[in-house]
Amino acid sequence: MSFLFGPTVDIDIILNGQEARKMVEMKVDDGKKESCYLYYDGETVAGKVNLTLRRPGTKIDHQGIKIEFIGQIELFGDRSNRHEFTSLVRELARTGELSQNTSYDFEFVQVEKPYESYAGTNVCLQYFLRVTVVKRLSNLVKELPLAVHTLARYPETNSSIKMEVGIEDCLHIEFEYNKSKYHLRDVVVGKIYFLLVRIKIKHMEIQINRKETTGSVWTEEFCTPVSRGPNALNENETITKYEIMDGLPVRGESIPIRLFLSGYDLTPTMRDVNKKFSVRYYINLVLVDEEDRRYFKQQEITLFRKAEKQKRTVPNSFPFKSSSPQGTNILTNTSDASEEKSDD
Amino acid sequence: MMTPQEEQEKLLEEALTVVRTQSFQMKRCLDKSKLMDGLKHASNMLSELRTSLLSPKSYYELYMAISDELCHLETYLLDEFSKGRKVTDLYELVQYAGNIIPRLYLLITVGVVYIKSNELSRKDILKDLVEMCRGVQHPLRGLFLRNYLLQCTKNVLPDAEEDAEGGEVSVMSHAAPRAIAGLNKMVNSSDADAGTVRDSIDFIQLNFAEMNKLWVRMQHQGHSRDREKREQERRELRILVGTNLVRLSQLECVDVEKYKKLVLPGVLEQVVSCKDAIAQEYLMECVIQVFPDEYHLQTLNSFLQACADLHPDVNVKNVIIALIDRLAQFSHKGDVARTIPTEIQLFDIFSQQISLIIQNRPDMPPEDIVSLQVALINLALKCYPTKLDYVDKVLETTEEIFHRLNLDHLNASGAVSRELMRLMKIPVDNYNNVLELLKLEHYGPLMEYFDYQARKSMSIHLILNALENETSIPSPEQVEGILSLVGPLIQDQTDQPEKEDEEDFVEEQGYMGRFIQLLSGATTDQQYLILNTARKHFGNGGNRRIRHTLPAIVFAAYRLALKYYEFREEDEKWEKKCQKIFQFCHQTIGALIKAELAELPLRLFLQGALVISQMEFENHETVAYEFMSQAFTLYEDEISDSKAQLAAITLIISTFEKISCFGEESHEPLRTQCALAASKLLKKPDQCRGVTTCSHMFWSGKSRDGGGKEMRDGKRVMECLKKAGRIANQCMDKSVQVQLYVEILNSHIYFYEKGCSEIQITTLNELIAKIQEDIPNLESNDESDQINKHFANTIAHLKLAKQQSSPNYSYAGLDV
Repeated sequence: MSFLFGPTVDIDIILNGQEARKMVEMKVDDGKKESCYLYYDGETVAGKVNLTLRRPGTKIDHQGIKIEFIGQIELFGDRSNRHEFTSLVRELARTGELSQNTSYDFEFVQVEKPYESYAGTNVCLQYFLRVTVVKRLSNLVKELPLAVHTLARYPETNSSIKMEVGIEDCLHIEFEYNKSKYHLRDVVVGKIYFLLVRIKIKHMEIQINRKETTGSVWTEEFCTPVSRGPNALNENETITKYEIMDGLPVRGESIPIRLFLSGYDLTPTMRDVNKKFSVRYYINLVLVDEEDRRYFKQQEITLFRKAEKQKRTVPNSFPFKSSSPQGTNILTNTSDASEEKSDD
Repeated sequence: MMTPQEEQEKLLEEALTVVRTQSFQMKRCLDKSKLMDGLKHASNMLSELRTSLLSPKSYYELYMAISDELCHLETYLLDEFSKGRKVTDLYELVQYAGNIIPRLYLLITVGVVYIKSNELSRKDILKDLVEMCRGVQHPLRGLFLRNYLLQCTKNVLPDAEEDAEGGEVSVMSHAAPRAIAGLNKMVNSSDADAGTVRDSIDFIQLNFAEMNKLWVRMQHQGHSRDREKREQERRELRILVGTNLVRLSQLECVDVEKYKKLVLPGVLEQVVSCKDAIAQEYLMECVIQVFPDEYHLQTLNSFLQACADLHPDVNVKNVIIALIDRLAQFSHKGDVARTIPTEIQLFDIFSQQISLIIQNRPDMPPEDIVSLQVALINLALKCYPTKLDYVDKVLETTEEIFHRLNLDHLNASGAVSRELMRLMKIPVDNYNNVLELLKLEHYGPLMEYFDYQARKSMSIHLILNALENETSIPSPEQVEGILSLVGPLIQDQTDQPEKEDEEDFVEEQGYMGRFIQLLSGATTDQQYLILNTARKHFGNGGNRRIRHTLPAIVFAAYRLALKYYEFREEDEKWEKKCQKIFQFCHQTIGALIKAELAELPLRLFLQGALVISQMEFENHETVAYEFMSQAFTLYEDEISDSKAQLAAITLIISTFEKISCFGEESHEPLRTQCALAASKLLKKPDQCRGVTTCSHMFWSGKSRDGGGKEMRDGKRVMECLKKAGRIANQCMDKSVQVQLYVEILNSHIYFYEKGCSEIQITTLNELIAKIQEDIPNLESNDESDQINKHFANTIAHLKLAKQQSSPNYSYAGLDV
């Protein structure tokens, strides 16, 4: 059948300067990964579409040829809810007949690409170019996924996270992360200071957790358990577990933290993207005692993507040493660490 | 059920198996240049060090095996780096390891490779490594991790002087990570420098402080019932902590100033503040051992003050003694003679600090206090050999302490006594001159704190020292001093036990006899005073002692008299003095007589008479006569045993025979008395032999009237011999009789050959015939064999003499 009714034209989309364009791995459908050309917000997407006849000499009737630039959010488990937040069309040819191999140039000038590409558990945000040869029975369609990274400037204020937490008369600790906002190739630097230790700690780790929320508008700022909307769907994922301490410390010990982020599969923090979903990141400090009880304290951090070339201009000193007033506000909040029964 | 040890072995074996497998894989990957896979296997291997099940010993073995394998990794990386195949961000890469133990071991390994391939980065890397190690708070694992850090950085620590202008202060300790992460970028920046010795000191001290904390923490973890085991384990691990101090001492740029200002204060602060006895004791000793003497000398006060602040359980005595011993050897070590800088009052500092420590520790056992004084006295003697007052100061302090503690009559077998004895023997053995001891004011008084046994043994030690070193005692005061020190050897003591071992007693008194030989005054008059002093002391010794000591004094006095005679030209009063000496002797011998001794005084009188006869002082004949007559008196009154009588009379006769100072009026009664005494002996054989001996008196005896010539009174000789023959004839015992005949024959031969004309060949022939007749009748036994041999030898002599003609005599007509 395919031999008879299959596409008789090969559609190729060639992007301008694609040899030099950076490519990134993107998760596409079914968990497969594919290399995609990378674009930034406001960048012009231009190129040409080549139509190649499979059997030279044949003719193909069509009712027009167009190319679209589409940005869409797809919520899994809800196929119907496929939402296009960007859709631009360029007409390449009017109704007519294709009798020879043809090339069409196209250009979407300074396209707005407001969101970063994202492929999560329950949601997927993707951009692609779609060429359609409109036909009477079934259109000939070719799609080319594109990757989009949104760049952020280095934040003007980036205070450290400093907090004193604990369980009364058992454990008082003070922790500090040098920033609250990290770029994706950043390093989390910090320390844990033990003020009181009466439990037999076996080890301590930090985790990077990702929380993907879909289906409900999310505006809550803090990490306290959230009241979910009727359709809200939360997906938590531990990106990494990183042991930072082995053994039982005594009062007065200060344990360093240094975690390089670039090695992990992270995205920028996304808040309320198109009112459809959010992706947030947390650092979770976990202490485990000799009976495998876990004590933890989770803090949200903001991740952002920084332009590559800016990297070198980042000042070499960090505002880590100076404690910010924000930290001291909740310093007395010592019963904040929650106890969680171990799952395993 | 496995024993704990078997279990350990099993666990260790399992872990080592993993190590072998993983390290094999690691090397294979590295050979194929698959660095990432290699690191993964290295990390797997290192995960074995995360165990909590191994004892320190087993953990150590595991650690050693793994650190060997890590060497391989390091070599590989260094090689790659040197070929220019630098792996970007390797330092960052290894930090992705999820578990902290493998991560930090890898970080250290990689960090050191970075340092070795580019020195400029080392300052920051070292700082970063030592900080990051804080993540391991488990004592055992932390100690080994930090030991690995120390071991790896051994040869790369910055050891350069600080820049004069540089003087930059290190502020960023934790702010370095970005720079570290992008290390390859950082080295180009102007911040980078190779560091100075200051950085090394900071690095090691931080590591030391952290290791010590971990080590001390072990003490407080686990059940109290396992305490002993835990302390044992801690002792096994101490070297790990001590290595930090060794590293500090290996820094060449650490000079006295830096040691004083930077190194020692930091170390002491850590040691004192950790408040742990085991750590303090070990680390203080460590400090003493690893740093040079010159440094200790400059920091004595701070070190000793720290000693005073140590935990009460610390045996601070050992620490201080170790330091003192070290410094005491200081001036004795090596080829170059080194002296303690004069500005350092070594002795005073120690003396003060020690008394402070003793004050601060009222519970310190007295033996430990004495041990400290021992160390102090050693110091005084080794470093200030000429300063007697230092030694005396120690003795004084010790005495004060004993007085304060109310100690007395220290039991010889007790610990305090043992230590004190050590203390008191040190000056003796060190000076090897007992006279020096007399200059120590507090030596004698301290002696009084001993019990009898200890005092005696100290006294013996002292005397033996004098004997071994042949120390001459040149003045009466010194004699007085020494004899007062060694009281238990001189006279009875109030605390003396009832019974003492007789053999030991005799031996000890023998030493005293020998000691008297050492008394030698600078002048003869001095010597006289010395002997008088000695006599006074020894005279109190009681009957048991004087028999051993007074004879030596008497002999010394005789020698002194001869000396006066020898130098009579120089001293016109010599005759008076000699008389006095002999009076002294007479009196001394008299003391022996009072002690119910007979033979000994008799011999001393005879010896005295002999000495007197050699010197012609006024009255000497009278004095000699007195001595001889005293000997006779003793013979007659005190000697009753027949054997002793024979021996005594033989001695008297032979002495008399030698003396030439008597005029005929003294000589005659004396020789008659001798002959009489000899013939009055109880047993016939004794009579016979006594009379035979008398014959010599008439032949070679000399009287002043005869001009000092031998008397050669052949007639009297003959009479004696004849009388002897008669007495022999009366003997009932045949073999004794023959024996006597042989002896008489020998006497005949003697005088014949001397030219005594009264002796006829016929008499000899008769005697020989008589003996030859009797000999076959003797029972054959040992005795008769003896006689036979004696006789045969005599005949052999005669045969020989008959053949050889002599101008003095002829044996013609002798029947042999």
